[in-house]
Amino acid sequence: MNNVLEIKNYTKVYSGNKKAVDSLNLTVKAGEIHAFIGHNGAGKTTTIRAVVGIMDFDEGEILINGHSVKDEPVKCKSMTAYIPDNPDLYDYVTGIQYLNYMCDMFSVPAKERVPRIQKFADVLKLTDRLGDLISSYSHGMKQKLALIGAFIHSPHLLVLDEPFVGLDPEASFHLKKMMRELCDAGAAIFFSTHVLEVAEKLCDKVTIINNGKLIESGTMEEIKGSHSLEDVFMEVVENERQV
Amino acid sequence: MKGKYKYLLRMQMYNLFGINRLIHSRGKQDKQRSAIVAVLGLAAIAILIVYTTKFSNSMALAGLSEALPTLMVVVCSLATLTLTFVKSTGVLIGLKDYDMVMSMPVNTISIVTSRVTLLYLTNLIISFIAMLPSSIIYIWYERPPICSYLFLAGALFLTPIIPMIISLSLGVLIVAVSSRSRHKNIFSLVLSTAAVLMIVFASAKTQSMDKAQITNLGMAIAETVNKFYPPAVLFTNALLHNDLVGFAIFAAVSLLSGIAFVTIVSHYYKTLNTAVFSHYAKKDYKIGALKSSSPFMALYKKELHRLSSCTIYALNSCIGIVLLLVVASFAVFFMPSTLRQQAEVMGIMSVIQNIMPIALAVFVSMTSTTAASLSLEGKNRWIMCSVPTQARTVYNSKIAVNLTVILPVLYVSVIFIRTAIPSSLMQTVLMFLIPTVYAFSISVLGIYLNIKFPKYDWTSEYYAVKGGAISVLATVVIGMASSLTPLYLCIIFPHYQMIIMLGITCLILLATLAIYHKVCQTQLYV
Repeated sequence: MNNVLEIKNYTKVYSGNKKAVDSLNLTVKAGEIHAFIGHNGAGKTTTIRAVVGIMDFDEGEILINGHSVKDEPVKCKSMTAYIPDNPDLYDYVTGIQYLNYMCDMFSVPAKERVPRIQKFADVLKLTDRLGDLISSYSHGMKQKLALIGAFIHSPHLLVLDEPFVGLDPEASFHLKKMMRELCDAGAAIFFSTHVLEVAEKLCDKVTIINNGKLIESGTMEEIKGSHSLEDVFMEVVENERQV
Repeated sequence: MKGKYKYLLRMQMYNLFGINRLIHSRGKQDKQRSAIVAVLGLAAIAILIVYTTKFSNSMALAGLSEALPTLMVVVCSLATLTLTFVKSTGVLIGLKDYDMVMSMPVNTISIVTSRVTLLYLTNLIISFIAMLPSSIIYIWYERPPICSYLFLAGALFLTPIIPMIISLSLGVLIVAVSSRSRHKNIFSLVLSTAAVLMIVFASAKTQSMDKAQITNLGMAIAETVNKFYPPAVLFTNALLHNDLVGFAIFAAVSLLSGIAFVTIVSHYYKTLNTAVFSHYAKKDYKIGALKSSSPFMALYKKELHRLSSCTIYALNSCIGIVLLLVVASFAVFFMPSTLRQQAEVMGIMSVIQNIMPIALAVFVSMTSTTAASLSLEGKNRWIMCSVPTQARTVYNSKIAVNLTVILPVLYVSVIFIRTAIPSSLMQTVLMFLIPTVYAFSISVLGIYLNIKFPKYDWTSEYYAVKGGAISVLATVVIGMASSLTPLYLCIIFPHYQMIIMLGITCLILLATLAIYHKVCQTQLYV
């Protein structure tokens, strides 16, 4: 399996010389769902933003399918889909206009647009509201629309920041299924979450980050063994705190 | 109530002019940016104060110091009336923090009062700029009795209230009417544009009358003003005749209008906001055929949607070109032939014909949708940053929208003006060419300054477009300076008009190309 995402010695320093992330290394292979966990302010979102090329960084290298995010941002972005933790969308367009806009931006062929939108919108029960302005959507509906916008161009790498927040149980179930299907088709998924039960059930690999430093990274079995991921996470973070 | 009102006001003030950012930001860049904003703001205030002082002083030297109080009230009121109108909905209704604020244990009267107070405080700046220098000069020349000092001081604080309330009422009324429509944004935009044009032309009419009468008799201004704005007369009479009752009535009318407005709006606050936030939903959508576009066209269409969806944005950034169309239409359809003949007899027609290209450029340089276009991305900017397209394409789409707004209207206006004022072929070509260069220039300058001074953390679009939006202010100031300076030079040096116009236009074109090159090298990050 080839490496879809490679993070090498990634360091991000905010003003005041505070290292938000310090020399992070990790890889996500094709077909892999990789959870990225850590407490609030650990550096998860800072890393995710650098991966998707929307935040500049100081040191290190981030590669997507071998292309540098710094040197070839457009190439990398065309292979990536991203949804932030609180996806604010354009309130002044309709759902279908937003999705068509994403299709235009990611060059989805005209013929494939309607079937793809139909497929995901039906699964997430959003089809009948696609003609309405996004401003009339609830938080969960916006989340679903952002998900469709991300899946619609069949990305090689899907990067999600807290994707399950705000979704109803049915949509969460379908999202997990969609994630697995995307990975089975050869893509990779890298996502942050605080819902450790979901990470435990869904992910092939997990990385734990604390105060900007990588604490543990490996397959789910390697990390948790016979314990629950929650127990392992609490133990690891507590050990770090004592150190 | 008082305590909670205070907290609400304080929280809003944190976001005003980026003061809190200046105090608490740890980033050096943030501090530098805030410092530049502060310096530019103070410089603008200083320039306006110098201008008002010089104007008032020359009035006083011409023996018209008695007319100063009336004039300063009129200037302050008109400025407040025009500048408050566009803020009305953005500051009062439809704010992004509505849910949070309304869920707090605080009554609506405190919320509305805090919002109106903030607006009043910003209007006080206008009041001090327009009235303080004139008051000092009035005192210096007239040596009025002690009670006049109190009247003048009172007027500084009271004058902005009535025009502010008139503008706010008009804005709220438009929201109330347009919120019933399915196409509320377009409806609101049309009504608001009509209202702004009405205010601008009413003030232009008042000002032209003042000037005509000032030259003859200063005190005659009061009579003219009386027709348009009775509160100014109450204040003038109080000042000139030591009429305490008149001043008390002026104060009472001002304060009562404010209290009445706050009470009425508080009563309907929830209803108005519910109307603004409620949306038409069909719930039976079927996906039809979808047209595909290039990334540039997709961005361009999105920008057009943005412009038409936000009344404050459209109104603020397009009013210059709308005014040009109105003036051009007036010139071709309503300009009396006697006026044209008179201009020919006086020998100023050729001057008008020659300076027309640069005069058109003045209107063009007031029109910049780009100056707020990045700021308006706000919390959506993750989309703009994460889509696979060059930052240059994003900037180009925003520039293209500004050109779409300006160029068709400009060319129609040129045809109108060409019909009204006969011009040579060369003059006609320049009327097309020079404003077009200015259109490119203001578009590029706007995006450049918005890259330098973005304002993403807004709670209402108003704050991205007007309140403390340095990119917008700086674009308009630089744009106007770049067109008014050659216009002024052309009038002073009529023999060098062509050299001045073409020379400065070429310089602007070169500067625009250099800035555009710099813009294209700038990456987009959240």
